Amino acid sequence: MDFEQDRVKNLDACIKCSACTAQCPVAAVYPLFPGPKSVGPDAERFRLEGLELDSKCLNYCSNCKTCEVTCPSGVKITEMILRAREKAQQTGQKDGETIQHQFRDLVLGRAEYLGKLGTIWPSMTNAVLGISLMRSLMERTLGIGRQAPLPAYKPKFKALGAGNPATARKQVVYFPGCFVTYNDASTGKAVVKVLEHNGFDVIVPSFHCCGVPLQATGHFREERANARKNLALMDPYLQANVPVITACTSCGLALKEEYPKVEALGAERIGRQVYDLFEFLWGLHERGELREEFQEVSVSLGYHAPCHLKAQGIGTPAVRLLRLIPEVRVNDLDAGCCGLSGSFGFKQERYDLAMQIGNPLFSQVKRGVAEGDFETMTTECGGCQVQIQHGSGIKTEHPVWILMQAYGITTE
Amino acid sequence: MWDGIIVGGGLAGLLAGIRASERGKRILIISEGVGSLTYSSGVVDFGDVRRLAGQEKHPYALLGETLVHTSADYFQVLFPDYEGEWGRNQEVLTPLGSPRRCGMVPKGLNAKALRDAQRIVLMAPEGMKDFFPEVIKANLVKIHPQASVEVYPFRLERFEPWYAIGKPVMGMDYAKFWRSDLGIAVIKDLLNRLAQEINTVQRIAGSEKLVVVFPGLVAGFSASLRNALSEVPFPVVEMTSFPPSACGQTLYETLKRKFRVLGGELLVGTGVKRVELQGKVCHKVIVPSKGRDTEFSARSFVLATGGIFGGGIEVTPDASRETVFGLPLFIPSEWTRAEFLGEQPYARMGIEVDRDLRPIASGSQEVILENVRVVGRMLAHWDPWLEHCGGGVSLASGWLAGEKI
Repeated sequence: MDFEQDRVKNLDACIKCSACTAQCPVAAVYPLFPGPKSVGPDAERFRLEGLELDSKCLNYCSNCKTCEVTCPSGVKITEMILRAREKAQQTGQKDGETIQHQFRDLVLGRAEYLGKLGTIWPSMTNAVLGISLMRSLMERTLGIGRQAPLPAYKPKFKALGAGNPATARKQVVYFPGCFVTYNDASTGKAVVKVLEHNGFDVIVPSFHCCGVPLQATGHFREERANARKNLALMDPYLQANVPVITACTSCGLALKEEYPKVEALGAERIGRQVYDLFEFLWGLHERGELREEFQEVSVSLGYHAPCHLKAQGIGTPAVRLLRLIPEVRVNDLDAGCCGLSGSFGFKQERYDLAMQIGNPLFSQVKRGVAEGDFETMTTECGGCQVQIQHGSGIKTEHPVWILMQAYGITTE
Repeated sequence: MWDGIIVGGGLAGLLAGIRASERGKRILIISEGVGSLTYSSGVVDFGDVRRLAGQEKHPYALLGETLVHTSADYFQVLFPDYEGEWGRNQEVLTPLGSPRRCGMVPKGLNAKALRDAQRIVLMAPEGMKDFFPEVIKANLVKIHPQASVEVYPFRLERFEPWYAIGKPVMGMDYAKFWRSDLGIAVIKDLLNRLAQEINTVQRIAGSEKLVVVFPGLVAGFSASLRNALSEVPFPVVEMTSFPPSACGQTLYETLKRKFRVLGGELLVGTGVKRVELQGKVCHKVIVPSKGRDTEFSARSFVLATGGIFGGGIEVTPDASRETVFGLPLFIPSEWTRAEFLGEQPYARMGIEVDRDLRPIASGSQEVILENVRVVGRMLAHWDPWLEHCGGGVSLASGWLAGEKI
């Protein structure tokens, strides 16, 4: 469909009910952000007439997509905002953005390069990042908040066997994402173990960053370049009908929503063949192909659904699956966005905002643990894990670890 | 395979989900957006149940008065923060301060304390959106001539950045603040200060019955906020508000939480694209997820998509159609009438059902889909605006569907 046509049609679906602004986590804590209705569909009318908004307003959107999930009329609000942001960027509208913040966007958008640097000597990087003088220096030079919960670097998660798409037994491609690759290799290994335990050969090409951090910092051209590089690596497998699996919900959303729009080989297949890990496992369960000789795991968990999982429109397959394990209890908290939203909460001037956004969630986590409703937290998104732990002090891990216990396997 | 899939997450859909989950069923609710409770005042209207139950084809006539009563009792047991008495009306304040009668209300909204008030203090939060203290005051003066009415303006540190740039604060955000730990401490302070000021004056004026009207406050379903309010020496009456409404939103959040605690799953943000039928049985719905479609299979389905305004009925200049199953609609021959706020026949558009809420063909009365039940605003032959029975129809049909899944 012609995009301009589509854009107008979608815009008319907005009935101005303000449900999106009422649910927007940023508008609730930051008055200078006019809210998704105003900077999305309202301003879009002006943009269609060639009038651009002060792009400062646009930049406060954290890209959590709560507005899109909320909208009763299916208006693509976040998409409108991101496109307007790209347009502002292209037309060189810098709204007095400082050189420092431009440089910071350059850094934060490149989780991949940072990761490569950080994982050369992880313990050294962490030691340096752990020095408060260093963090205060980073705040002053880069504008990266000194209290922001920067995740620690870990030895890098390595690419695994190229496999041979032609002689496929049961193969899957695993897209680990930057968080697993540079900060949490053991969760990556756990994902591989669980898939292998279910009889799959797991292939992990040397993927690049999915592009979400680039998109969030306004580097749209670079984002699409990354998408093309990753699609080129996936294409042979996509052509051979091998599913692509990710356990990161933001990578998953990008692969499902953004990659099909890129002009490259494989783009036409990626949407159909990419799965969130638990979505994939639940599919196996429904077809009777999942190994379900689960051991008892006596644990009571609070579950936080990441915004980018909600935006995928697949429900909460991890909750469904964990509830198949004897003695596992799951409380789905539904307490809104954690506030970090990728790198939003790392920015010095947004650290407090991010903490305010996450506060209802943190209080609910703390209360739940204090009242004995659950012991620890689980969520698929690495960013949410770091932020929930930072805001509530409660241990937060990827749900794959519960499955590891149920299967009685380790990453060794 | 789910025991039941409910399409639509408003009052009727969520209540059906809760009832079925209580009965041990595995339920998935699929909802296009947040549902229309955010636009509702949060009060539940039943209308004149006995009269409507005698009206041919009305949902109450199909379900029977007893069942409507049962569902009201069920709702009240489920949510003790609501109060009402079968067959008697409660009274709440509209956003403009005039009285409105209704069936069941969150306790804090109940305006009965105003009846014998001698002095009414209207709290006036600075810069609250869609809040008109002078209009409210005028209405209160008119309706309660026995009482003196005064406006008590106040501002909150929390919203100073809003005041500073002249941006209105959404009533929803005021309400959220009062429900936070800090908000509870602040409201205690505020009301105690008011009590002290009143006491100082009262020594001169003698003791008089004081009632405080507090817009932008929702104490329902927050035990700690309710406790804080019970400690002040005068009754506090909340107000309904224009959409988006904090009170309706609170009911929505509470219904969702109850459903989730019972093990139900809620998929918000995507509707149903198509369904798969085998003869007169539906076995699968297909949802457009990001990237590709996702299929969900179930034994039983509930259609709770909210009529024309909920998107369950699509009306174009050429035709009207039910959007999920393509079920036939009852369409009144005459659609609209000249009097804007008078009876509008299109309100009765909807799906005709049997006593089990299954869709039927209008001529032969034959059941069209054996395992699909239609609830709430999707039902034909009723008018929520004229008959004031929107809450009752949703509760009764939702409850019955929850029993049958």
